[in-house]
Amino acid sequence: MRRFIEFVVRFKNYIALSALVVMSFSFMSFGSLSQLGGFRAVIVGSIGWIQSLFAWVPNPVALKAENTALRELNLQLSIESSRFRQAMVQNQTLRKMLELPELTEDRLIATDVIGKTTTELRNYATINRGIEDGVREGMACVTDAGLVGLVIGASPHYAVVQLLLNRDTRVAAKVYRSAVDGMIQWEGEMQLSLKNVPKTFDVQVGDLVVTSNYSLKYPANMVIGTVTDVRDETNSLFQRILVTPAVNFGTLEQMYVIDHIPDPERVALEDSIQRTLKERRTER
Amino acid sequence: MSPILDREQITSNPALRMITYAVTAMLLSVVHVVFLRFIAVTSVTPDLLLILVVWIALIEGQFTGMLAGFLCGILFDVVSADVIGTNALAKTIAGFTAGYFFRDGFGAAIIGSYRFLLIVALAGFIHNLLYFFFYIQPMQVSFYSFFLTYGVATTLYTTVAAVFPMLFVNRKKDWN
Repeated sequence: MRRFIEFVVRFKNYIALSALVVMSFSFMSFGSLSQLGGFRAVIVGSIGWIQSLFAWVPNPVALKAENTALRELNLQLSIESSRFRQAMVQNQTLRKMLELPELTEDRLIATDVIGKTTTELRNYATINRGIEDGVREGMACVTDAGLVGLVIGASPHYAVVQLLLNRDTRVAAKVYRSAVDGMIQWEGEMQLSLKNVPKTFDVQVGDLVVTSNYSLKYPANMVIGTVTDVRDETNSLFQRILVTPAVNFGTLEQMYVIDHIPDPERVALEDSIQRTLKERRTER
Repeated sequence: MSPILDREQITSNPALRMITYAVTAMLLSVVHVVFLRFIAVTSVTPDLLLILVVWIALIEGQFTGMLAGFLCGILFDVVSADVIGTNALAKTIAGFTAGYFFRDGFGAAIIGSYRFLLIVALAGFIHNLLYFFFYIQPMQVSFYSFFLTYGVATTLYTTVAAVFPMLFVNRKKDWN
């Protein structure tokens, strides 16, 4: 017994170490005991209360990291918001365009404008539909707002549209209200001009101008624009009528090509009559 | 009127010393949990209780150091909501290791010198080795990389924090 006590006293440190290690492992293996859990809940609650007292003290390092993260998130959200806004505008435009097929019997070929060119006061637009999609030279182009122009050339996958804002454009038009006929031309800037309307004819500011039945190239009753100015020209029998186009050519991104070619027989007849009249004038 | 807490009485009375250690341990555990986040460097904080355990081991001896380590570890496990026993085990071993450097009557001299920092570093290294070994058991992380990142960093940070008690005791020696 005495030797045992001497042994314990001599190696008390190692015995205590073993006992404490075994106790530690025991605690670890037991996991969370319910009684200890209750006690711990009290301690954690107290610590949490103390922490809440000092929660107002800022942590500069954490704040800096949070600021950086928030700034990046803000930038991402701004970009997304901008994309959504764009998509919303595009969605509204496309919805309006979807109503257009209901107004015409002809097939409409939806296209995107992929390029715009200006050469010597001639404005053209390139679209991403061509011969393989049914686009042909001579087909009219429209949007939900109104007339855009005429296809003047097509390849298998692309086509070029001569816009109304082009000095070669001539469109037989009429004032919708009073059925006054005229000829739409472009003379620069963003305005069209309705020509050959005598001074005595009834045209007022605000009148709607549409393609007339006499037009060979364009379907009838397609909206061209609105009359914005009517003046009597001096030394002329005609009025000077300015028309604002219905289509905003600056933001033109989509359009429809009307799958309609003018009657070839009528085209041939009118072309031959014009040639004959020219020859007679030349002979005189 | 004599003060309630006389420094001479505390240092000469073992019971009062134990009570002082207990109160200090409780305060340090609260400080650790509440305030150390302000001086954390990428989630690494110094282990103040480990410094206390090493201090006790150098002043009181290996046996008391072990016991202090066990009790401080249990206290910290409860306060930090960690698995009960992990800190107890690690600090017990740390106290046992620091106790090897105990020299009767030379505790203050050791603490007031650079040897205290070396002992804290050694005890801290062994403590963190054990602690992080059990810490990453549920995780699918390499122990070596985790220990090299956090274990070594915690050891170094704790050693740096031990400079303050070392300087305090060193200056006290100069005053005496």
